[in-house]
Amino acid sequence: MQSEATIRRAGEIPVSAAARYNESIHQDTTARLFLASSITYFFIVGIVALVIAAKFVWPQLMGTIPMLTYGRLRPLHVNGMLFGWLLAADMGLMYYVVPRLCGVRLWSEKLGIATAALWNVIILGAVVTLLLGVNQGLEYAELPLPLDVLVVVAWVMFGANIFMTVATRKYTQMYVTIWYCLGTILWTAFVYLTGNFATLFSTGVNQANLNWMYVHNAVGLIFTPVGLAIAYYFIPKTSNNPLHSHKLSMIGFWSLAFVYVWTGAHHMIHGPISQWLQTISIVFSVMLLIPVWAVVYNFFATMRGQWQQLRDNVPLKFLMTGVVFYLLTCFQGPMHSLRSVNAIVSKTDWIPGHAHMAVLGAFSFFAIAGAYYVVPRICKTRLYSDALANWSFWLFLIGGVGFFVTLWLGGFWQGWQWNNPAIPFIDTVIALEPVWLVRFFSGILMFGGIVTFAYNILATMLGPKGNQSQAALATA
Amino acid sequence: MRDYVYPSVFFAYFYFFLLLVGAIFFFLRSFKDGYWGHDGEEAKYRMLSDDESPETPEQHR
Repeated sequence: MQSEATIRRAGEIPVSAAARYNESIHQDTTARLFLASSITYFFIVGIVALVIAAKFVWPQLMGTIPMLTYGRLRPLHVNGMLFGWLLAADMGLMYYVVPRLCGVRLWSEKLGIATAALWNVIILGAVVTLLLGVNQGLEYAELPLPLDVLVVVAWVMFGANIFMTVATRKYTQMYVTIWYCLGTILWTAFVYLTGNFATLFSTGVNQANLNWMYVHNAVGLIFTPVGLAIAYYFIPKTSNNPLHSHKLSMIGFWSLAFVYVWTGAHHMIHGPISQWLQTISIVFSVMLLIPVWAVVYNFFATMRGQWQQLRDNVPLKFLMTGVVFYLLTCFQGPMHSLRSVNAIVSKTDWIPGHAHMAVLGAFSFFAIAGAYYVVPRICKTRLYSDALANWSFWLFLIGGVGFFVTLWLGGFWQGWQWNNPAIPFIDTVIALEPVWLVRFFSGILMFGGIVTFAYNILATMLGPKGNQSQAALATA
Repeated sequence: MRDYVYPSVFFAYFYFFLLLVGAIFFFLRSFKDGYWGHDGEEAKYRMLSDDESPETPEQHR
């Protein structure tokens, strides 16, 4: 437990003391703004996702209106989900979590509010430019240059606020969540600059290699560390059970820090890059099993003797299901990098199945759990509906599993067909129509999950406010 | 027209070299700060009581 030796500065009111007087030292305005806007984008971009899933089955849908073509909507879906929903929700949760772990207020609430405003300008700008077809033409780096510059500015504002909050912390030792938050801020800066600026000044194979290094690290060094930061905070909090091992969590953090950055070239296996670079990326990809094991074992060991809580604790359901998806997706990743497996699954529908399990099944599940936990507390009220929260979990889970499994099977089948030169390419497209139909209906279920989640959270935010004692009972 | 391919590639790898140096520095520093010693588990207990709300038996299931 907290000892006097860990308290750095005397004279300031610790959070625990404020709690005794039933007062909060936290304003949480920034966290609220980020969460409200990100969940709204989740709903809007969810509609776009459903439309593009329908276009696979009915390609003539919406005719030839340029703004509604697949080529315009797909980048909007990807960027909207990654930066409008997930990263923004994660930022909102970091604004909530970091000050509490440091035992101090957020360094500057005004700077946080300005960051939230700028982030919304960027996302709205992305909607307009991508629908107009203004696009850099690089995966995950579609946003035009002026918006890239604004992202960098917003990230510096965000990073300064979090770093200054950590710099004024009361405790010398930082909980693992703070390590991951700080890592996310630094790694995102490097990864984003490489993917959105350095790629513009290179050509050919070098550009492709840089781009895939960015794409893979966008998942591995942005969404993975911030997702794990959230899971490391909310699994102990929602289960009211200490983490199994803080030292093991540090092993996971440092092995991720040293290993992840070198794996991007596995997207170009069997491509026109040197064999040594491919082999290095394979070796580091397999080494990823070390941080994954460290993380997943720690979470499962934390839940030892606590599994009965999954019956009625919705945030914990999302968190532990997300851990299972994290384990599966992180087992798939290193396996894909093996040359023999890659020859079948690369560029097929297997890959979107894998990517959706990471970004939706693992990291979005963590963020949803965080929102269910945080929003009633910062609004000082109860969650609008526990039943609706449970519905959202099952809709996401059933829709998600249907989506992932369908794309894995379809992608594997597609890969076998592509490896047979006797089969004309168009036949492989036609053959996948039933797969895409199942994906569309799975998408409807997932969208149902988004609707119930978004409605529940926004109704909690906009509904009547209770008093502190009610908030204390709000377990979401 | 100048060819910016190699400067941009080296620019990217220089960034990641900086990351590597930073990672090594903070990893070694973590030993000095006691993360691997007998007090290394303290933070996981402290985080459970960082809420601003008064604790009640029903607060966490």
